[in-house]
Amino acid sequence: MFALDHSDLTLRLGSIAVLCIYSFVILLLSGILLLRFIRLAKERRRRKVTEIWRPLLAQCVVEVPGTLPELKPRDHLVFLYLWNHCYESIRGDARAQLNELARRTKSDQFAKQLLHARRLRRQLLAIVTLGHLQERSIWNVLVALLENDNSFLSLVAAKALLNIDAAAAVPLLIPVISRRNDWSPLKIVAMFGTVGADIAADTIAKAACQAAPEIGSRLIRHLAATQSQQGLPPLRALLREGTPPDDIVAACLFLFGECSDPRDVPTVRAHISHPTWYVRLQAASALGKMGIEEDEPLLIKLLDDEHWWVRYRAAEALSNLPWMTAERMSRLCEALSTIESQEHMLPFLAQSNVRQSGLMTVALPRPHSSPSIPEPLPPDASAA
Amino acid sequence: MEPTTHRKLTVLMVEDEEDTASLLKFLLERASYAVVHAKDGRQAQELVDTIPLPDIVLLDVMLPFLSGLQVLAYIRGNAAWEKVPIVMLTADGSEHDIKRALESGANDYMLKPFNPRELTSRLKRFLAPAA
Repeated sequence: MFALDHSDLTLRLGSIAVLCIYSFVILLLSGILLLRFIRLAKERRRRKVTEIWRPLLAQCVVEVPGTLPELKPRDHLVFLYLWNHCYESIRGDARAQLNELARRTKSDQFAKQLLHARRLRRQLLAIVTLGHLQERSIWNVLVALLENDNSFLSLVAAKALLNIDAAAAVPLLIPVISRRNDWSPLKIVAMFGTVGADIAADTIAKAACQAAPEIGSRLIRHLAATQSQQGLPPLRALLREGTPPDDIVAACLFLFGECSDPRDVPTVRAHISHPTWYVRLQAASALGKMGIEEDEPLLIKLLDDEHWWVRYRAAEALSNLPWMTAERMSRLCEALSTIESQEHMLPFLAQSNVRQSGLMTVALPRPHSSPSIPEPLPPDASAA
Repeated sequence: MEPTTHRKLTVLMVEDEEDTASLLKFLLERASYAVVHAKDGRQAQELVDTIPLPDIVLLDVMLPFLSGLQVLAYIRGNAAWEKVPIVMLTADGSEHDIKRALESGANDYMLKPFNPRELTSRLKRFLAPAA
């Protein structure tokens, strides 16, 4: 009897467990189907909004039509994405037409509401939109966002400030650029895209002069990406009047080499015997790009430097001198006093021979000419 | 007297981004050009082999499957297309791309983001406007 009751209980428990599992699976499946349905409905709506507004946006580049279709609040996000994409595809007077469209569809007000959204993507969209619309009313909000922990948010806020009023934004940005080590230098250069290369170079150089050495040296190395020499005067003043850390000096020498302004040659020469090896290295590389014949002995002397990388870059610099033919390099090799220095020159002599014979038609990559590729630092190199 | 028929000038536009393509198509059609659109490098190649000669090619540099420079080389390798003017569309600041494009046979280039008025002016340099 007791055995029968016990098995009856077990059966009941088993049935309940099976029912629970089935219910859970059905619930899960329903949830998946519901999510899929919602996603497909969103996709359909996005396509419908795009079909309506994409040709209209193209038309608005020329002239905003008198009547516009209704824009529901739930479609406004998609519209903003399309609007921003169109805005960034064009330049000139046509942007004014798009701004008019934005105000007529009350997108400025919608974007101001989005500024306080919880989702980062929506906040970013709002900032970008209001920056394009040059909406001054959010200036203080953007300034506060410059100090936000999120680097995306702060960078986008900085770009929006520049779009609204570049002259007022630059003095605010200089100290921020000098402080934020999470801002990529190339993104900083890109941020100034609408403002102009000269302003970009000047601002970044001033920020670098104020920054800690690890940030400043990074900023200076990437100044070459602005393709403007406007950043050179603040750096020349820094080297002349102060005693900046070695990292900054090395970065400045790198930049001088990239810009190859003859006025900087004496400065480069002055650092060829610097006590720190990576400063000598950058001086050698720079002299290879901007030096004259009288600088050849300075580079030859560096072939006997105590540091391998300095010897290597000196050899490379010698091979890059405009008047350095294969024959001249060969004579130079023969005249060198140590086997080590000859060994450093040999690969470059081989390359020169191949180039001269016409076998090599593709220019070899020059690592030192890319601002984003720093020199390798051995573990024992002292960082400022 | 036979009525005169004015042929619409044709532009082969190679652009992968839908929004940009839509905008370019609108501007070109508004300027009375007939537009043939290729969405990627491969489609552009197929069109070069099949369609009648267009009056001008508007070619983006960054394309899927084949780059704009590869498509440019393909077009210039086709003797029939030797004299068709090609205008490259390239992102702002890509001097390297511009140099390579001009050396490879492109006639002109336009930077993105582009000025809509400048686009039609540049095309007019190579084409007479359609009647």
